[in-house]
Amino acid sequence: MAAHDINLPYVPTWCAGCGDYGIFMALKKAMTSLNLDLEQTVLATGIGCSSKIGQYMNTYRIETLHGRSLPVATGVKLANHNLTVIAEGGDGDGMGLGMGHFVHTARRNIDITYFIHNNQIYGLTKGQSSPTSDLGAVTKFTPAPLGNVEHPINIVKMALNVGATFVARAFVGNSTQLVSLMEQAISHPGFAVIDILQPCVSFNHTNTYQWYQQRVKPIEEMEGYDPADLEKALTFAGLWGEQIPIGLYYQTLRPTFQDSLPQLSHQPLAKQKIDNIDITNLMQKLY
Amino acid sequence: MNKSYYTCLFGGEAGYGVMSAGSIIAKGANRSGLWSFVVNEYPSLIQGGLNSCLVRLSDKPITAYEETIDFLGLFSQQAFDCYADKLNPGAIVLYDATTTKIDATKVPEGTLLCPVALASSIPKGGAKIMINSAMLGAFAAFTGYPKQILIDVMKTEFHNEKIQQENIQILDEVYHLVMETLSSSKTFPFPFEPKAEPKMLINGNEAISIAAIKAGCKFSAGYPMTPGSSVLSYLADHGAEYGLVFKQAEDEIAAINMLIGASFAGTRAIGSTSGGGFALMVEALGFAAQAEIPLVMVNAQRGGPSTGLPTRTAQADLNFVVHASQGEFPRIVLAPGDIEECFYETFRIFNLADTYQVPCIILTDKFLADSSVSQLPFATESLTIERGKLFEAKEQPYLRYENTPDGISARAIPGQVGGRHIATSYTHGEDGFYSSGNKEYALNEPMVTVNSMDKLYNKLPAMEKEIPAIKFYGPPNADLTIIAWGSTKGAILEAMELAASQNISVNFLQILYISPFPITATELVLQQAKKTLLIEGNKTAQLGSILRANTGHKTDYTFLKYNSRAFLPSEILAKIKEVLF
Ligand SMILES: Cc1ncc(C[n+]2csc(CCOP(=O)(O)OP(=O)(O)O)c2C)c(N)n1
Ligand code: SF4
Repeated sequence: MAAHDINLPYVPTWCAGCGDYGIFMALKKAMTSLNLDLEQTVLATGIGCSSKIGQYMNTYRIETLHGRSLPVATGVKLANHNLTVIAEGGDGDGMGLGMGHFVHTARRNIDITYFIHNNQIYGLTKGQSSPTSDLGAVTKFTPAPLGNVEHPINIVKMALNVGATFVARAFVGNSTQLVSLMEQAISHPGFAVIDILQPCVSFNHTNTYQWYQQRVKPIEEMEGYDPADLEKALTFAGLWGEQIPIGLYYQTLRPTFQDSLPQLSHQPLAKQKIDNIDITNLMQKLY
Repeated sequence: MNKSYYTCLFGGEAGYGVMSAGSIIAKGANRSGLWSFVVNEYPSLIQGGLNSCLVRLSDKPITAYEETIDFLGLFSQQAFDCYADKLNPGAIVLYDATTTKIDATKVPEGTLLCPVALASSIPKGGAKIMINSAMLGAFAAFTGYPKQILIDVMKTEFHNEKIQQENIQILDEVYHLVMETLSSSKTFPFPFEPKAEPKMLINGNEAISIAAIKAGCKFSAGYPMTPGSSVLSYLADHGAEYGLVFKQAEDEIAAINMLIGASFAGTRAIGSTSGGGFALMVEALGFAAQAEIPLVMVNAQRGGPSTGLPTRTAQADLNFVVHASQGEFPRIVLAPGDIEECFYETFRIFNLADTYQVPCIILTDKFLADSSVSQLPFATESLTIERGKLFEAKEQPYLRYENTPDGISARAIPGQVGGRHIATSYTHGEDGFYSSGNKEYALNEPMVTVNSMDKLYNKLPAMEKEIPAIKFYGPPNADLTIIAWGSTKGAILEAMELAASQNISVNFLQILYISPFPITATELVLQQAKKTLLIEGNKTAQLGSILRANTGHKTDYTFLKYNSRAFLPSEILAKIKEVLF
């Protein structure tokens, strides 16, 4: 597969300079270098600027409702576990309406890869606070002087706590690392999450490229780094401020949800023959 | 008195096996040439409260009940207090005098009061639930219902050998104990046929579940909500044997989105819930419609609004289900009225969902979902799977939402070569693309919008033609036409029989599919109708308003019941008489 196979004849409508372009490019690169079969790949997105990524990629795609990419992706994966299933969306999409689904999808460890475009703001609805907005962030819905008074959700901590088996944080400005993390996440058997720091140039004037650039630091350069150690990962996840570690925080292998189901040990559900199913036995049980 | 029905009612608090006692009697009758109808009533409580199981037996098929009791088996005082005034003259009342005090002034004259030491017949250390076996033994002795039939059912009901033996022994001992001292008994009015063809004892939710399995449904997801849950637990229990995966979701929102994902990926899927859960699913219902992804949902109604009455029946979600969601789109709403319709129409609705790529809702209620009926095995030979228009690799370029004269475009399933597309919740063009920011798209947006809406509604003519939307019963030129939907069917048909025996002529228009509304078929019936009577289990005559909106017809009379219990034939007959005379 070549990179251009993924392209569609549509020009993305993100604002010039938006971090979503970088994620879009990185995803295409990662998919190309993994040589993913585009016919066998499903991209499930939510709603938001970030989720528009599905409109521009020539795989099978399902653009769901706001916050619902993960349950839809779960249905797709259970119906045909041979597919590569990637879910994608924003921090509002995933950590607001989608939070319950996020927790349970991680807990289930179903083999889905989840890329969260984290711009700490609601982009598409033009600048409201997000569950990941920093304390004090001034947004349309949290005006000055107070700004945001709610403690932000730390996606990496969240993912580690609820049982995701691959957890990373990336910065769209570090493309090489982002592509490599995406490749690893897609290849990981189990629920893989990347919290992707992504500037919104139109509505978040605090967490800019420069702001991130000054803070992000490759996690593997940090003392005591060990991606097999959950406690360590949680300690690193606590760092958000002067230093923000980026890279693979944690990876482990645990049986996936779909591997635990005997019904899925052979053919995918979607491939089963459904003509002439014999229900005599079910009826006899009721005599 | 000409007895065509015999009614047993067992009542007591949870833990006495009230319902299992009833179902053993009903199953025994089913295996012996009789027909039964079993209605369970229970509060939303785990312990205590009054559970009752009413078994109506007959020598012909029945699908309704009357609360006129021939045999009352009491496990608690509360049961006596609640049901004493429902006893038929000459009924048998069986009770344990240590737990239940009978006030003889409260029972009709000629009632046979039978105290039996039920509790003390349980061996030391035995479970309270075994008292129902003692009850069954005494029941057989007093009524003449063959003891051996009950024992045979127990042998297949209890899988644990030890429990089976203990229960049979208790039944036997109590039977003999009663027989030894028996001075008078009442004979059971129907003959038992030992070699009769067996019938199922099946409720609406079981019929729907079995139909889903037969229809090739391989995925179900849901979140428990009475009375919708038992479809889910049936599929969880029996589905795996057929390669079906059931996933308990974190909530109803997740459940329906999982169903949509699975259906998009090519698997037939079903969900089941009740009104409150359905309310949470509404947003995704519109998503399925917009993305044209087949979806089959069951809403087993209970009382509302809000959490309402978890374990009681109602027909009050009709308007909600027919209109649920923002925007507008065609959908199929099926309201089965009996077990056969639960089975055959559920099978058909999977075909309809695939053919028309629209959301399909099976609207039942607690009474239909949860009451068990004798049913001969379903005839399955002629049931065929239709998957609708499917994409074939040759057609390129592939447009998932291609505008076709009938509004239906070919579905491609992920994994199919050449079928890549976007399925989306946004209003979209033929290729599924939406972006108001895209110059070319923005220019065409009004046209794309109109086209996409027209495309959805272009499906309607074919849907209306194909769907067997009404059923009509009774003489064409009757004095009164009853119009109703859903589970009221059984009580109406029985009331019509009673009416006919008194030379009152009534016919009945059953609206089987409420959306798309069967305008033409209904109008044909209405043209012939002399007087119309609407019967519904809600406060606001919801079918009435739908009928009026679609045909302009306002029924002459309405009979609405919303006291959380199902209609009885006798009260429908009374209403018929009130209207006609
Ligand atoms: C149920 C529902 N509520 C609200 C919206 C409106 N809405 C669209 S996008 C969005 C927020 C998007 O924010 P985020 O997920 O952070 O993505 P971004 O646009 O920043 O990429 C909202 C609230 C919607 N489409 N559906
Ligand atoms: S609003 Fe923000 S997130 Fe949306 S496209 Fe513009 S820069 Fe990107």
